[in-house]
Amino acid sequence: MIRPLIIKATIHSITAVATGHFEVRLDSRELAAAIPGQFVHVRTPGTLRRPISFSRLDRAQGRVGILWQVVGAGTRWLSEQPAGSQLDVLGPLGHGFPAPQADRPWCLVGGGVGIPPVFAALEAWQDVVQAPITAVLGARREDLLTMGDDFRDRIDDVRITTDDGSRGGRGTVLGPLAHWRAQNPNGQVYACGPTAMLAQVAQVCQGVEHVYLALEQRMGCGMGACLACVVLAQGKHGPEWRRVCHDGPVFAAEELIW
Amino acid sequence: MKGVNLEVAVGAVRLANPVMAASGTFGFGPEYADLVNLSRLGGIAAKGVSPDPWPGNPPPRVWETESGLLNSIGLQNPGVEVFCREDLPFLAAAGTRVVVNVIGHTVDEYCRVVERLEAESAVDAIELNISCPNIKEGGLTFGQDPIHAAEVTAAVRAITRRPLWVKLSPNVAEPERIAEAVATAGADAVTAINTVLGMAIDLKRRRPALGGLSGGLSGPAIKPIALRVVYQVAQAVDIPIVGIGGIRTAEDVAEFLMAGASAVMVGTATFADPTTMERIIDDLPECLERLGVTTPIELIGQALPGRL
Repeated sequence: MIRPLIIKATIHSITAVATGHFEVRLDSRELAAAIPGQFVHVRTPGTLRRPISFSRLDRAQGRVGILWQVVGAGTRWLSEQPAGSQLDVLGPLGHGFPAPQADRPWCLVGGGVGIPPVFAALEAWQDVVQAPITAVLGARREDLLTMGDDFRDRIDDVRITTDDGSRGGRGTVLGPLAHWRAQNPNGQVYACGPTAMLAQVAQVCQGVEHVYLALEQRMGCGMGACLACVVLAQGKHGPEWRRVCHDGPVFAAEELIW
Repeated sequence: MKGVNLEVAVGAVRLANPVMAASGTFGFGPEYADLVNLSRLGGIAAKGVSPDPWPGNPPPRVWETESGLLNSIGLQNPGVEVFCREDLPFLAAAGTRVVVNVIGHTVDEYCRVVERLEAESAVDAIELNISCPNIKEGGLTFGQDPIHAAEVTAAVRAITRRPLWVKLSPNVAEPERIAEAVATAGADAVTAINTVLGMAIDLKRRRPALGGLSGGLSGPAIKPIALRVVYQVAQAVDIPIVGIGGIRTAEDVAEFLMAGASAVMVGTATFADPTTMERIIDDLPECLERLGVTTPIELIGQALPGRL
């Protein structure tokens, strides 16, 4: 694993990819060597950096994508930075997804702003997996869905849901996921999204051996020092808090206590 | 500029420069070792350690505020035994001063930690944390009452000859009274200040934002509060003061020294820029020159009455 660096990375492009969602492509060979599921901690004018997962890792070009939703002053500031300017990014941070197994059907589940990291996983390991690959993507509304076309460019089986039915099936990712799981008892699942969604993904996938979840949590340092971004996990001596930034953000579903 | 002597002393503890990492913001040292040259720091205050493991508070544990940061970590730590076995050896080899922050619910718990630390040669100073707002009993309770503050200080003093610093709370009417009490009880220095009690409301969830409901405010928002406490404590006691609260620049350090601090700690600023402490150390010589002095020691207490 690459050690974290503080990098002044030039913005190659910045694009509004959905309502209130932006994707930046950053030129950085160092970051391009990261693992899907890892993240960068981006400096803003505020007291804390903002943790954002990689949406793409292009090692050949030495370029990465990060994609975020504007939720406050820090992410708004980020969305106003022009191409050609530099961002102060700390990364790559955390533990990413493990490489998928070649012979197991693979389901990538992304909810809202959790879609980008599972796309990075698809991009990195599509060629590794010889079994069928399925993506289940969910958003609240059609205009909030990101990266649908990126998935369709790579795989045929992309199932989309929206809370209001404005695109794809009405409902959440859990419906299509349960369907997939019933048909693929020996499958593997990589998911990222809101904590409530991941809790249900874990439940739907109980008994599936390879379920990996990328979590989000309010984060402080990003380096494992401040113990802010914890989740409850099964420890050797009972439940314990683990750090999303350092022990995660990717956890095996069976480690976590909901 | 490189040859400037930045050495200071907090009582018997000599520091290569006045800039230390604040407890709770720098883990046990290795977390930031990829980004920070630890041997350049004046010292590192390790995260608070208790006699037994403490689980900490439910998340969310941090919330950004205007010019500040609220936290409710709840002093999660693995306990003094694990700390001594797994974490202290790294700190001992880091090439800087090691300050161990000690926490407890009762006088006996503080004493158990300090007793265990007596077996370790790597501890340069003990920082008694009687001011954390994020635990229900002990902690802040000791820091809000001169009698209790003196009691825990005296009890620890009786079992260690190590340099003993006591970290003060700003959440009292007269911090200088607490400082006087712990000085009389045998403290070698005080650290001022711990975080300021505060709260944030999460509009979406319509409830307090932090899992622990209220929390401790840190960052630039509390710098004026910290300077006021340091200034008042400096006039009340003769023991040295370690200043802390919202420090981000060499100029901030100079302000704390002028208010009466002998050294400082940097905490929240490290989160946005992990190189903050090294940058301050780099900037200090030029800052001192601009202020017409050659060492940090000359600035100590310059703003106090009678020194103007």
